[in-house]
Amino acid sequence: MFSTLIQKAQSLILEPPASSPSPAKPSKSTQFRNQFRLPAKQTLIQEISCEMSLSTGDHYTGKLYLSEAFLCFSTGSSSTAAPASPGFTLPLCAIRRVERLHSRSYMFALSVTTWHNDLRLTLQFAGLRPSCERFCDALKKGLRTQMNESKNLKILTDSCYSEFLLAGSERKNSGLDGEKKEEKRPDTGLGVLFKYPGDTKKLRDRSKMRLWAEYLRDNGRNITLVRQPTFQKLIRVGLPNRLRGEMWELTSGSMYSRLFNPTLYQDTLEKFQGQHSLSIDEIEKDLNRSLPEYPGFQDEEGIVRLRRVLQAYSWRNEEVGYCQAMNIVVAALLIYMSEEQAFFLLSTLCDRLVPGYYSMTMYGTLLDQKVFESLVERTMPILWDHFNKTDVQLSVVSLPWFLSLYINSMPLVFAFRVLDVFFLEGPKVLFQIGLAILRISGEELLQATDDGALISILKDYFARLDESAHPNSPNEKLRAVTRFQELMVVAFKEFAGITHSTIIEERARHKEPVLKDIENFAKRTQLRNLGPDSKKLDKEDLSNVYDRFYKVLYERQERDLYQLEEAAKAQRGKDAKSEVLEAGRVGLGASVTIMSYDAFREFLSGIAPWARHNKLMSPWGGNQVPADHEFIRRLFKRWDTDFNDALTLQNVVSGLAAIKGAHKDIMSCISWFFELYDDDGDGRVDKEGILKISEALLFITRKGFTFETSTPPLPGDDNRPDEKFLKSVSEFIHRCFEYADPSHPGNIPSTPSPPSSPDPSDDEEDEDSDDDLIAFESIQDPTPPKPKRKKEANIALDPQKPLHITLPTFRMVILADEALESFFERGFTASFSLTPSTSTAPIPSAHLSTPSAGLPSVEAARVGIRGVLDGVVRDGMRVAAEVRRRMEEEVEKAAAGAKEAVDEEEEKEEVGRVSEGDRDLLSGAEADIRSIAEKPLVAEGQKEGEGEGSEGGVGVKKEEVVVERREDLLQ
Amino acid sequence: MSDTGAPKPSSSVKLVLLGEAAVGKSSLVLRFVNNDFQENKEPTIGAAFLTQKCNLPSRTIKFEIWDTAGQERFASLAPMYYRNAQSALVVYDLTKPSSLNKAKHWIAELQRQASPGIVIALVGNKLDLVSGNDESGEGAEAPARAISTEEAKAYADQEGLLFFETSAKTGEQVQEVFEAIANAIPEVALKAKGAQGMGRGLGGSAGEVAPGLSMNEPNTKDSCAC
Repeated sequence: MFSTLIQKAQSLILEPPASSPSPAKPSKSTQFRNQFRLPAKQTLIQEISCEMSLSTGDHYTGKLYLSEAFLCFSTGSSSTAAPASPGFTLPLCAIRRVERLHSRSYMFALSVTTWHNDLRLTLQFAGLRPSCERFCDALKKGLRTQMNESKNLKILTDSCYSEFLLAGSERKNSGLDGEKKEEKRPDTGLGVLFKYPGDTKKLRDRSKMRLWAEYLRDNGRNITLVRQPTFQKLIRVGLPNRLRGEMWELTSGSMYSRLFNPTLYQDTLEKFQGQHSLSIDEIEKDLNRSLPEYPGFQDEEGIVRLRRVLQAYSWRNEEVGYCQAMNIVVAALLIYMSEEQAFFLLSTLCDRLVPGYYSMTMYGTLLDQKVFESLVERTMPILWDHFNKTDVQLSVVSLPWFLSLYINSMPLVFAFRVLDVFFLEGPKVLFQIGLAILRISGEELLQATDDGALISILKDYFARLDESAHPNSPNEKLRAVTRFQELMVVAFKEFAGITHSTIIEERARHKEPVLKDIENFAKRTQLRNLGPDSKKLDKEDLSNVYDRFYKVLYERQERDLYQLEEAAKAQRGKDAKSEVLEAGRVGLGASVTIMSYDAFREFLSGIAPWARHNKLMSPWGGNQVPADHEFIRRLFKRWDTDFNDALTLQNVVSGLAAIKGAHKDIMSCISWFFELYDDDGDGRVDKEGILKISEALLFITRKGFTFETSTPPLPGDDNRPDEKFLKSVSEFIHRCFEYADPSHPGNIPSTPSPPSSPDPSDDEEDEDSDDDLIAFESIQDPTPPKPKRKKEANIALDPQKPLHITLPTFRMVILADEALESFFERGFTASFSLTPSTSTAPIPSAHLSTPSAGLPSVEAARVGIRGVLDGVVRDGMRVAAEVRRRMEEEVEKAAAGAKEAVDEEEEKEEVGRVSEGDRDLLSGAEADIRSIAEKPLVAEGQKEGEGEGSEGGVGVKKEEVVVERREDLLQ
Repeated sequence: MSDTGAPKPSSSVKLVLLGEAAVGKSSLVLRFVNNDFQENKEPTIGAAFLTQKCNLPSRTIKFEIWDTAGQERFASLAPMYYRNAQSALVVYDLTKPSSLNKAKHWIAELQRQASPGIVIALVGNKLDLVSGNDESGEGAEAPARAISTEEAKAYADQEGLLFFETSAKTGEQVQEVFEAIANAIPEVALKAKGAQGMGRGLGGSAGEVAPGLSMNEPNTKDSCAC
């Protein structure tokens, strides 16, 4: 699962959608690719001013461009990105020969012979000698590397109707019969089998075809076609049926993708044959609902083709998969082209022409609606005001226009005419047509007062597109103008000002609010979908967790892309501004929705101060570097309940709910912690685990924790909570080992204090100061199996005899210490601050980003010896060792200082607490809740020195012991 | 009781249909509008728009129905369609547990984001699939009811929703849903578009049905005419 994500990310990086709507200013390479409809991997290598002449005598001045695999020429400047302007897009592999000509007026002139021998181009460079030479050198290199691609050319041209058309007319000229040509007629779509829509006579298909044949003869065809002004005109009057598919393919540029991937379609189908996915199911549901009025789709043949193309694309681009409306678009394409052609054209549509339209969040669709609305507002303010006043929402009608490229709105014949221009001139055409529709129907629309009226007016308009636009005109020519022709004229004349740049600018302007809307919606939806665990968290917290989760993922992707981009930049020179920098945004259909361990650390560092690295600053600025610790790794593993080695938002929320959720009390917190270290889930934590717990406790509290504020001030002793906690942790280790169970029953007799022992007095006996000292000594060698002198003092520590603690023991040990108790009561939970601005809020980044000088001082001064500890943690050394060292010091101090009274005080308190915990332990796991509830009472009773008569059985017995002992001490 | 001929106040009510894919939203609308059941041949992009009148004793309600696309990714377009809606029909499939969850999410979304006072009906569709008389014996393919009436009803009551179980296929309870919604729309929420509806009071031939009573045959065009 993860690897497919990585693959996806890589493919995203390698083949960026050529014009995502994000960049205000697309990079030069992007503009270049857009202008010439080149595949995504092409970059601009060389450019030079140039004059192109054709053998017909036509000549144009413009610019010549070279990419890795293409030689392109255009008279239009790239900023207007007018792909329709005169020029050519010539794959290098389709060049047969390049000759240097000697020319008087120019320094350099090349004669280019293309694949189609009859086409010869003369290119005269206008530039300084060195730049001409540079261009020629690069061209030579390109030609050489692209030579072997020419094997694909034959495959491609064989599938082109233009070849067949011209060969046919030649055959006719040479007197061959027309019988044979039927056999190898290229696939020109379902129209051949089921008739093309519309009346061919009315469409004047035959004369159009003649004009095209003439054009193709003089100007090259398919892959080598040269655009002259006639080309655009021929397209605007509508393509002839059999040539339509090929011209769509050529003008959109999808033909080039097909050229370089001759087996991709078949391979994809074979590879995924019989596999299932959500998209596959969704496709199946819609097959019978795609242009059902066309006979080809009432037939199995049409359905089968449609299914294959949609399925292949859904596998090819799983991020988009299948979106309703794609069925309609592909169905339309299939009337005029082969499956394979439709497959590549669909890719080009999704990647370049209408990016984001069919994506998971459909952000492109929503964005273009906003763009359209703002264009309406700008060009037809009165109508726009009317819509606003009457609260009519334009997008309810215009959204389907764009999403289905008018195929679903207009009668097919007209929709195809729009498509003819759309593929050549780009997405601006959709806007121009839309504006023209509103302009023409403007008068009526001003009468509409609700969405319903709007819909019916436009429905009526579309139904009458073939009628005369001026039925009452005395001028016969005017009468002959159809409403559709009128639409085209209005669209391309009156709205000629709507250019590709207009659209790019408007998209950039509206992108942010649109993405925000989508993201808010997605957030609402996802948070609601999180299930019962999410209810345990505060609403604001939940919202912050969501934001932080996606922010981390987004920032990480951005960073990765940035780095890759930087690397790429370094590799191929300056022009490499990325347009895919925002790939991770939710609004764009976040591709990554799960969190790796590293991402998790980053996430955690934002909500828990202890998850931040002590000193290091992030090279990315702002946040601190996330810390790494065994505890964090455990947390990650614990939350990863699906065993994906990654966390979903659901995992994170459930994980947090288990810690921070409402109704969490100290006991559940203790159990939670214990389970975190109970690796095999057998209810036992071994020696190693005990040490790891202590390390974790110190790790979490190394920046201090807030127990002193959450509990009443501690009685008397030093007001250095960190030192107190340090001591608590060392005692924790000590007690754990003391009360541990041997893992082998054989050890029982020699254990000083088996917790299961029914005789509590034994425990109490061990609790004297001598034993304490010994125990502290023994901790010296908790893990390394180094034989030690005092080993025999506590058999539990014998490395040969494994031991473990159980939950009740663990609980007892925790509750025996005020600091630990407070930590589990509140401190730990409070250390996760999901909503900023609480006491544990992130330290202001201003402070963090101040370079070196002021950094350590504040913390160092505050934490004292804790600073040493920090170093230990950071260096990854065993905390336990440090604890031992510190405790030895303490013990020495204590011995030297002879503070007996104080010791006694401590001893007394400790005894009381241990026994209380012990009682809890003895009453067993099943009594958990009861004992918690009773705990405060008991504690109070002990302080008063009164036995708890009402306590049952064992408990009572123990209380008595405690009281006795205490009296002893007081004497 | 029927005041045929006399123009009654008429008003438009915007109604939006929401719910998981394939729960039968379009079929419910088709049953209500055309009293028909068939595979939807009209491809729906974004949302389909239909209108249908519903005659009540006191007034005529013209429903402007937005039937939204069920595919998950179209969900982000939904706010566009439920905007200003005075009523919503949230549909689930009573043989499919996930669909009730989805319905609950839509209801939460509407309660938070749609116009305040929106009348919401929760509708469990495909009642025909679970109505006792299974002709094919062991119910080899017949899916079992996955959501009990009690469960859904309890939820609906708690959220203050109208609640129905319907079959778009047989027409059972379909009419009733729309009537109940029409009746539940508060008088004040109706725009004073009233007078438009004059002359169109071609009320139900079978006579108006008292609100709340569900005595009519599902297949007769009772109170609603188009």
